This record gives sequence, C-alpha cells and structure tokens, in this order.
Amino acid sequence: MGFFDVANSRLVYLLVVFVIVFVFILSIIFARKAWKRGIEMGISKDILKRVVKQSLIFTLVPSIAIVIGLFALAPALGIPWPWLRLSVIGSVSYELMAADMATSGMGMSLAEASSGGPAALGNIMLVMTVGISAGMIMLLIFGKGIMNKVSKLSASKSDFAHVVMACFMIALAAVFIPGILAKGTIFILTFVTSLLVTAIQAIIVEKYKVKWLKDFILSFSLVIGMASSILWASLLG
Amino acid sequence: MRTSEQYKKEIHKTGRIGLLITILLLFAVPIIICSVYDIFPTFKQFMLSSSGLLAIFVPLTISEVISFTPLLGSAAYLTFITGNIMNLKFPCAKGAMDVAGATPGTEKADVIATLSVGVSSMLTIIIIALGVLLLVPLEPILQLPAVKTATDYMLPSLFGALALSLLKSSGDIQVKGAWKAGVVPFVLILVVNLFVYPLVGLEGVALILMIPLTILCAKIAHKKGWINVEYLNETTEIQGGKE
Repeated sequence: MGFFDVANSRLVYLLVVFVIVFVFILSIIFARKAWKRGIEMGISKDILKRVVKQSLIFTLVPSIAIVIGLFALAPALGIPWPWLRLSVIGSVSYELMAADMATSGMGMSLAEASSGGPAALGNIMLVMTVGISAGMIMLLIFGKGIMNKVSKLSASKSDFAHVVMACFMIALAAVFIPGILAKGTIFILTFVTSLLVTAIQAIIVEKYKVKWLKDFILSFSLVIGMASSILWASLLG
Repeated sequence: MRTSEQYKKEIHKTGRIGLLITILLLFAVPIIICSVYDIFPTFKQFMLSSSGLLAIFVPLTISEVISFTPLLGSAAYLTFITGNIMNLKFPCAKGAMDVAGATPGTEKADVIATLSVGVSSMLTIIIIALGVLLLVPLEPILQLPAVKTATDYMLPSLFGALALSLLKSSGDIQVKGAWKAGVVPFVLILVVNLFVYPLVGLEGVALILMIPLTILCAKIAHKKGWINVEYLNETTEIQGGKE
C-alpha cells in the first residue's frame, strides 16, 4: 500500500468527516448559547442579526484563502488530512509550516513526503497533532482562570484596569503591523490601501449616517486591499 | 433568566468539555490510522522529526492562548478548537464587537464574540467542505496568478482593515490615547524585523513579551495624563447601538 492509498483511504475520510461534523455541531451549540444569552441580556435582535451578517460576510474571503491552502497541502499529504487540519485547530499559515517541518525532520521536503511510504504519513500526522495541541491543552487547564481574571479586571472601577485591557489590542497591533510593513513595498502599499479604505468608510458612516455600511467596513476593506495588491504587484513586481 | 454567573458556568462547562473531546478526537485520528495500517513510527523517528516543530509550536501556541484569551473571553474555546485565529476568527470577532459596540472583557463582548466565532466557524467548515467536493473544477480558478497574489497579501489587507479598530476603543468605556502605549513596542518590533530577525510565524512569542512592555508604557503614559479613560453613558446607534 502506498502513501496516497492510505492518505486518501475511506477510513481517513470517515474519521475526518466525523471530527468535522462534531466541531460543526459544537459551533452551533456555542452560537445558540450566545444568541440566547444576548437576548437575555437585553441586546436587541437587530444587533445580534447584524453581528451574524457581518461575521458571515467577513468569513467568506479568508475561508477561500484557506481552501487555497488546502490545494497547497493536498498534493503532498492527500485531501482528508489537510481538510481536517484546516477545518479544526489548524491555521493555514501554521499548517504549511508544520507539515514542512515534520517532513524536513525526516530528511525530506514536503513535496517528497510520499516517497517515505505510509509510515511517513503516520509520522507526519502524529507529529503535527502533538505539535499544535499544546495551546488547546493550555486553554483547557488555564483558560477559565484567565477569563475570570479578565472579567474581574473589566468590572473594576479602576481606570488603569481598562487601560490594561486596551493594551492587549495595542500590543497585537504593535507586534503584527511592523512585521507586515518590514516585508516590502507591496506589503506596505496594500496595508495603506486597506487602512485608507477603512478610514474613508468610517468617515462616510459617521458623517452621512450610512448605518448599513458599518457592517461591511471590514469585508470591503479586506477585499479592496487584496485587489489593490494585484495592481501594486503588477506595477512594482 | 440566568444570572451572569450561571451563564459563565454553563459556557465554561461547554467549552471545556468540547475542548477535551476535540483533543481526544484529534489524537484518535492518527492513532487509529497508524494502528489499522500498522504504520506507527518508532519513538526515535518521532522524536527526530518532531523536535524542531515542537520547539517552535509549543511556545507559539501557548503564547497565543495567553494573548488571545483575554480579548476573546469564552469565545476562545471555539476559536482555538476551530483554528485560523489571526487570519479569520479574531478579526471576525473584533469586527462583531465593533458592530455591537461592545468593550472587550465585558460579558457583552464575550457573548458577541462567541456568536461571531460560532457562525464564522460553521461557514468556514462549509466552504472548506465545498472546496474538497469541487477540488477539480475549482483548482484552476483558485490558482490563477491574480488570485494567488491577492491571497499572498491577505494579511496586510486584513491588518490595514483592522488597524483603526485595534487602536480605538469600542463600547461604553473609551480609553483615549491608548495607541501611545504601543509606540515603543511598535518601534522595537520594527527594528527587530528589519535589522535582527524577521519574526514571521513567531508573532505569538513576540506578543507575550510585548504585552507587559505595552502595559508598562501605558502605566507611564496614564500617570502623565497622556492616556485617559472616558465612560459613555449612552452610545449612539452609529457607534454600535445601545440597547
């Protein structure tokens, strides 16, 4: 039996579909609980519906990018395993890196993974699972404690407690944005385009009271920013 | 009607049970496959191929938990289960908080983020499943050079779209001038990226170091009066809608 006979076998598909269906049901349970609690708290249905609409529209483009990541992994690892990893736990950028590191640890490139036979597949699957599970285990043990501490901080009357909460967002921007800008001119231009598109939309929403646009700002900026990268790449690439 | 404490207890229970079952299922898949096809690696093989990956991914994923859990609240459970955090779930939840005018850390933000990540996860799972079903007809379209370029630049577009939202407070509690706390970490990370080592893929680890530094800068700025907190009694509809 070859690498892909196992990687694309009925058993692997069956197991993968089982896990994905479980996580899909879990997503429904979480969304339903949040909706119900929102109503109980007095958040209007209109706001909750807008949140759902905004989330669905925004999800479209990044999800398509994930499918493209699936196409990148499938020739090396078959279809079901990348399908599982990109639907559950994994991230499109981490999975490519993890698969590459797992195969290079065996002395081969990701593209050559199949030359190691089914044994290589077993090893890759186990290594990738162990590698990325630390976060989930950490969340299981410490998540509740962290969330309770944050709740207390937010409920605090101290001004500085709210400043600390804001710092998490600020630190996120301070870490990710320089890394993007340092990658080169096209990255900078794409970032600036998306930023400007966001600012213009925010002004339109504020000044002309175009309420519906607020729900689309993030999605429009993402798509226009990505589209602009094609222009910048053709001009400068 | 449930109290806030009852809801928290319930959502933590669901989250932790869901998390535990997912971990078990994720390990079960390779273990079952290795058992059925008799392809278990030897311990030596496993260690040789996993050491490099573990050295990077263990601290990375742990720092992600420490950095994102305070921002996502109980939505963190589903976010970490479904993955794609920085490229999809976090921006989606943050956008939803902005739409609802919710301040991160509050119960309202927790509920909104959970709803947002829940529906987002469902749609992502459906789209990836469609991608698998339509793999053959879709592949030539999704591998067009223009599509590939646009996808390569998704992260700068995403952060361009998100930058203002990250720097500006949403909800009833407004932290004015909070961006000032980010100047020193921003410059430091920029210098490291440009002249020391590109941090691509290691942002989680950098984040865990920059959060305390940002808080320290904020403490100084707050003392000097450069950062102030304002409590809004009423948010306007345009700011997210006060119920």
